[in-house]
Amino acid sequence: MSTQLLRFAPAALVAALLGLPLFVPDFLLFEISIAVSYGIAILGLNLLLGFTGQICLAQGALFGVGAYTTAILNVSFGWDPVATLPFAAISAGLIGVIIGLPALRLQGLQLAIITFGVASAFPQLLLKMDTLTGGVTGLATDQPFAPKWFPGSQEAWLYGLSLICAAISIVVVTRLLRGDTGRMMRALRDNPVIAEALGVNLTKGRLAAFAVSSALAGLGGGLFCILNGFISPQSFLPMKSIDILIGGIVGGITSIAGAFIGALFVVFVPGFTTDINPALGGLIYGLCLIGMMMIARQGIAGLRMEKLPAAILGVFKFKSSSRFPGAVPGQLGGE
Amino acid sequence: MAVDLQAAGGGPVLSIENVDVRFGGIHALKGVSLTVNAGEICGLIGPNGAGKTTLFNSITRLSTVTAGSIRIHGRAIEAVPARRIIGLGIARTFQNLGIYGAMTVLENVMLGAHHLTGGRFVEAMLRPGRARRVESETEQHCRAILEDFNLSGVAEAAAGSLPYATQKRMEIARALASRPTVLLLDEPAGGLTHGEVAEFGELVSRVRDHHGVTIVLIEHHMGLVMSLCDRVEVFHLGRNLASGTPAEVKANPDVIDAYLGRAR
Repeated sequence: MSTQLLRFAPAALVAALLGLPLFVPDFLLFEISIAVSYGIAILGLNLLLGFTGQICLAQGALFGVGAYTTAILNVSFGWDPVATLPFAAISAGLIGVIIGLPALRLQGLQLAIITFGVASAFPQLLLKMDTLTGGVTGLATDQPFAPKWFPGSQEAWLYGLSLICAAISIVVVTRLLRGDTGRMMRALRDNPVIAEALGVNLTKGRLAAFAVSSALAGLGGGLFCILNGFISPQSFLPMKSIDILIGGIVGGITSIAGAFIGALFVVFVPGFTTDINPALGGLIYGLCLIGMMMIARQGIAGLRMEKLPAAILGVFKFKSSSRFPGAVPGQLGGE
Repeated sequence: MAVDLQAAGGGPVLSIENVDVRFGGIHALKGVSLTVNAGEICGLIGPNGAGKTTLFNSITRLSTVTAGSIRIHGRAIEAVPARRIIGLGIARTFQNLGIYGAMTVLENVMLGAHHLTGGRFVEAMLRPGRARRVESETEQHCRAILEDFNLSGVAEAAAGSLPYATQKRMEIARALASRPTVLLLDEPAGGLTHGEVAEFGELVSRVRDHHGVTIVLIEHHMGLVMSLCDRVEVFHLGRNLASGTPAEVKANPDVIDAYLGRAR
């Protein structure tokens, strides 16, 4: 019975996502679309961190590269915003490969610091390149308007665009994770020495993961630019990269659904906590994060409902040994 | 000790001449030579620290040779990167297992075939039909090996959940999935029970006969070495000590000295 229900689950989920504009007000639909754009960047990070064990704290900057590619192609060259999206992905992918080069020698914490350096430098770099990026005033882009035949609102049209981008991203990641490429990435994550003895090209595997991960960040960024209609360096501060990492871990770093669940978390939960108490929003959000990691160590997507009571009780057992494996096996130990 | 390069049989598949390996101040191998002919089962024995595993690591380029030469099918490998060694037909197992515990047995074995068709990211993304066809061919090839190794029943089980002896068998299955010509087995019987060791010996000689591979094995289990190997090479403190048939080696006073430390 339950397995039969599960078979219809994906179809039901798609139907629910497509039907959402009928039930949800436009401003909420806009926020969900923004969350989807983050979700695409988080999905990239999940591929990189969850499956090849490489950390990248420049995902927010790569998101920005995609956003600025879309904005510049639209503002300076008059391209249709939607047509710029593949180029947003490609430009971020290329820059991601350059960022990934140090990853061939450095792993874990060193790589975290190097990539965070990129994230820290990025907003300043945007200000310095103001002839192209508009500097502190930012860039305002055209929005692709819904065609006349479309019955819904402008927000619903853009929500549809977000879903299409997410679907393409999910297809790409699913294809990479199944079969040989997926095994290869997990193998080089779990034990690079054995992987190499088995003929795995570590350089190629690591750089390919960086390229795809960054391209997804770029696609998400391009989408973000279209949704928002305006971007400035303020949108791509280093904290954005941390938010993307938090979304990845909280959602479930080895889960495709987890990427989007995590994105919804980082977009909506800070707002919820501020609603609870405007003065203590940050404090409550912080406690939420701490609680999440104590109860759902594998992320929300890894949570099993029947094990939930035990997990909550487990928080109060102060044992030194972790009964759950880390969310990301061996990612912070270095080589 | 001189090694006869004109050895009879199918000619040397592996020839190692005067190999030196140093790690910082440690001189792990001092002018070691070894020739392995096609179709042989060659045993490497010697007390701990003799340099047997270092020799395997040199052949698979995990350790860098400081002097001497290693040739696989006549090809010098000094400039070959570690990941290309398996493509030259050399597959190995590791002393303390080199398996992926979180992956299934089938996935582990399919990783063995990675070097044949794997690593095609663009194809995986853009030509999923082709990628799936290659994947199913690989799976068929690997399932046949699992069948041969009596591992079909645990194909979908996580490798880490299996008994040690089964994991060792799986590691050899994975090595075979790479379609090797030479198999390097590092203490394949280490940690096995008495009954498992006998079973293991049968498996190894069956692998040689059915798959036509040459086998080099490091082993401490003397019973297995004596019954299985065509030829035994003895190492001691990073040098060749003796070589010959199991019976010859067993009777060699130098070998007895090295193992028992008898005063001369």
